[in-house]
Amino acid sequence: MTSAHDPQLLKGVLSLLLLCLLAERESYGYEVVQRLQEFGLGGINEGSVYPALARLEREEKVASRLVASHSGPARKYYRPTMAGRRALAAGSASWFSLVAVVNPVLAGDSARRTVRAKQA
Amino acid sequence: MTESDTVMDRLRIERAVWSFDARLQDLPRRSRIAKRRELRQNLRAAAGEVGARRAVRQLGSLRALAAEYLDAEYGELRCRPSWTAAALWIAAIEGVMMLLDQVSSTAFRAGVSTAGAHPVGAVHWRGIPYLISDKTITYAHDESTAIGGAWTVWVYVLMLGGALVAGRIWRLVPGLRRRAFAHGVLSD
Repeated sequence: MTSAHDPQLLKGVLSLLLLCLLAERESYGYEVVQRLQEFGLGGINEGSVYPALARLEREEKVASRLVASHSGPARKYYRPTMAGRRALAAGSASWFSLVAVVNPVLAGDSARRTVRAKQA
Repeated sequence: MTESDTVMDRLRIERAVWSFDARLQDLPRRSRIAKRRELRQNLRAAAGEVGARRAVRQLGSLRALAAEYLDAEYGELRCRPSWTAAALWIAAIEGVMMLLDQVSSTAFRAGVSTAGAHPVGAVHWRGIPYLISDKTITYAHDESTAIGGAWTVWVYVLMLGGALVAGRIWRLVPGLRRRAFAHGVLSD
């Protein structure tokens, strides 16, 4: 199931997904990866998630803090800033608007193909 | 989980972390250390779940990962020349040449003094091939004056050529092209 997702499409919405997950609960890098996998997005490479978090931090959309861990070195937890929450709201609106346009086109195409198949 | 605690797994993680770190040379030291620590921490957390071998494999290419981090830090200005490396190279060559000049010159004068307690007249020193040109030292009344002994053009070639390579100055070119392109677009 996870391999069905186009990595390029996922990469386009990765920042949005990260902001959304972090807005729900602050997490460290690997925990974010696990949470994405729980949503069926196992196809997202860890090598994409960690730099994406770094990019969000540089853009000041997330802030981080180190939390001591009993099982190893301190973990870096991320949480969205106000700018991050605004970006999440704007990005979500933009995504839903895009989906609202794309879905009918794709659904129409699917219906047209079904009709053509029946006619053939 | 015990798997992440074995020596082999720690070594596996450390190897990945330091390979990754070696590719982050362009980052400021503090940022580089922070990223190295974060990667180690994430790898250990992942190793606790899936084992160190798989945790490292799941990262994908370390080269690609480092490139992504550099992109995240610098955006399209990722490939920048290192002015520090260039300056250090020039300073190193300057230092080595000054030392060489001083030592060889002192040794030559010491040799002349050993040959005669009070040398008089001009003495010719052939210098160091390709590095220091010849020098004429004139002794009179227990004092000496020197003419020549300049660094050859090859020293400056080494200095500037090395700075070009060490500082990767050619990385300026894409930025200059982008700037020229942007200027052209704006002026149109």
